[in-house]
Amino acid sequence: MCGIGGVIRPDTGPPVDELTLRRMAAATRHRGPDGFGLARTPGAGLVSTRLAIFDIPGGWQPLATGEGTAMLVYNGEVYNHPELRAELEARGERFATTCDTEVVLRLLVRDGLGALERLNGQFAAALWEPAPRRLTMIRDRFGVRPLHFSLLADGTLVFASEAKGIFASGLVAPEPDPAGLDQIFTFWGPRPPRTAFRGVSQLRPGAVLIWERGEIVADRYWWTAEMDPGGVHADPGELDELMRESVGLRLRADVPVGSYLSGGLDSSLITALAQEATSHQLRTFSIAFTDALYDERSHQEEVAQAIGTDHHVLEIGTSEIAGALPEVIRHTETPLVRTAPVPMFLLAREVRAQGITVVATGEGADELFWGYDLFKEVVLREIAQTDPQRAGEMLDRLYGYLGAPAARRGPGWKRFMLAGDDLDAPLASHQTRIRSTAAIKAFYDPGFAAALGDADSSLIELRADLPASFAGWPRLQRAAWLELRTLLDPYLLSAQGDRVAMASGVEGRYPFLDHRVFEYSARLAPTMKLDQLRDKVVLRDLAERVLPASIAGREKQPYRAPGVAPFFGAGAPAWVEEALTPEALGDASVWDPARVSGLLRRCRQGRVTSPREEMSLVAVLSTQVWHRTHIREPAEWEPESAPPRVRIERGLPASERAPTA
Amino acid sequence: MMQTAEQVRTELRNFIEETFLYMHPDIVLADGEELLTRGLVDSLGFVELVEEVQARYGIEVTDVEITEQNFGSIDAIVAYVERKRGGS
Repeated sequence: MCGIGGVIRPDTGPPVDELTLRRMAAATRHRGPDGFGLARTPGAGLVSTRLAIFDIPGGWQPLATGEGTAMLVYNGEVYNHPELRAELEARGERFATTCDTEVVLRLLVRDGLGALERLNGQFAAALWEPAPRRLTMIRDRFGVRPLHFSLLADGTLVFASEAKGIFASGLVAPEPDPAGLDQIFTFWGPRPPRTAFRGVSQLRPGAVLIWERGEIVADRYWWTAEMDPGGVHADPGELDELMRESVGLRLRADVPVGSYLSGGLDSSLITALAQEATSHQLRTFSIAFTDALYDERSHQEEVAQAIGTDHHVLEIGTSEIAGALPEVIRHTETPLVRTAPVPMFLLAREVRAQGITVVATGEGADELFWGYDLFKEVVLREIAQTDPQRAGEMLDRLYGYLGAPAARRGPGWKRFMLAGDDLDAPLASHQTRIRSTAAIKAFYDPGFAAALGDADSSLIELRADLPASFAGWPRLQRAAWLELRTLLDPYLLSAQGDRVAMASGVEGRYPFLDHRVFEYSARLAPTMKLDQLRDKVVLRDLAERVLPASIAGREKQPYRAPGVAPFFGAGAPAWVEEALTPEALGDASVWDPARVSGLLRRCRQGRVTSPREEMSLVAVLSTQVWHRTHIREPAEWEPESAPPRVRIERGLPASERAPTA
Repeated sequence: MMQTAEQVRTELRNFIEETFLYMHPDIVLADGEELLTRGLVDSLGFVELVEEVQARYGIEVTDVEITEQNFGSIDAIVAYVERKRGGS
């Protein structure tokens, strides 16, 4: 696991100086705390910071196969690398390291991009071929690992794992992108290729982008999530072996692997399978909250005890959330609509302090096996067409975790959740979430809203991005695709996943996001995923065989964290009020100071109870922090001063070479 | 003691102003003003409004009563609450 970056000019013109690369290394050093490496060819430079997991002494990057050939910077893991290596060796390849990086490089050089579908893992990489002046960037299927890039006016390409790496090059200045920000306040995160910054793009999950001599010559998917493959339904009995294999692959590492335990079904199942597959006692890590509304520690402890793990709990209160928010925003590089990434950031820091750098985690199960209440809403809206009373009664069984009893939420809630003018509208499944989140936009500064143009621009972009066959898919399949492409990679795997874990150099591994598990789930009969309101049917059946019944049958409690309490009242940090003054709001020009002052008054009085206002407060405050951290006072990176672990210099005149090279 | 219609009107106005109208600092709300069609209360806010009426006045709102005729303005809600309480 690493941070990567580079600057590639359209021609062999001015050199990319080493200090630029060293600054980029400094900006992404948290991703790779074990050391960094550099490579330069005429008009090009690559940089890598490394978190060593495989081949600890040997796997330094950039990696080149030989003089005058391609070189690779690579962030991630390919779990089936031993099998791919054996196959390549049988075909005559000779390896200098035992690291997966070399397997990926040799496979790509030998077999081209067609080889990508052989890779089982989570990765982002850039392959530089100096002779044709071609840079090929790739990203894994689900977007677990990030990759950002900017194409400058003169054709120069700057890329980095995180946007801060690009800004550290000094070639791109951070500016807000209103369209990217609007996507956050629509979907919770910017959908690739958008980011919160103008002129900075993300590679889309499953995409390959090829830049050649100053131009992007290809930008296409090498893998897409086919939700409705047709054919014979998958055998539910296959899941057991598939999951054991997926978990087993993700335990491969030359360092100890731990596990996150939320207390819910998915992480419990992963943990149980991981413990079965290892001879040592697995170490598990959980977040507990001082506020009982969010706390799941009793479930976590029950699971840890049942599985027999060495369990560690990090208790988090309001002051911890407020205290860490600015640092979290520095890493996410986006505003947030929820504070939930903050405890995940603190947990990763704790995991690292405990000497663990790799953790298995349960994300993906709710998307693949239709666990979210959002999928049940789709079913209920269909029932409501013919039997509204029954649908209403069934709805009362959802969202129990919101605190208010269903009867108290009343018929207005039912109407909001169940009304659907057109159940076959492309975004019908997500309308309630989109409309709930859009309440934030009522706080937009009029100038910001005007800059956006069409108020529905984020939805228009999404509709234009739907697969050609989307309209022909069943409603739940459509909902699942939207869930993958509007929430999983833009938010859950990013702000709440990669960024907050890699902030402490901790790598998350996702057994449910093995592409074979996904492809299996897509072939399952729909009722094996969601049968009326019984969710994740096939997963629960498996869980019943490896976990106590009370855990296997547990209802979902979404992971949430307090949103308003941390920032007001005694103990709230002074920066909160400073960030929210009319002057500070005017400076960022995203939110209307008059409307925000009304919201703040209610927050200070402790009167904010609705999710609408809680989400709005988090959005406003985190935007202000984001603006200060990334736009108004961006970090100035001191170049890495340590000697690089690798320094490759090819074709450079003596005057451009590093003195020590 | 049960509130008079005027008390209900004042309470509702206070609730709506405090909960929703800070979003619309230029608006002076008239009792007949249409809350939904004018965009003063959005669909999620409407859920909160119905909840508030239900909880504050101890009345049971049925699905079919959630109409603009009953909840579209302060005047409408006052009349609705009066009808429901009169009938209970």
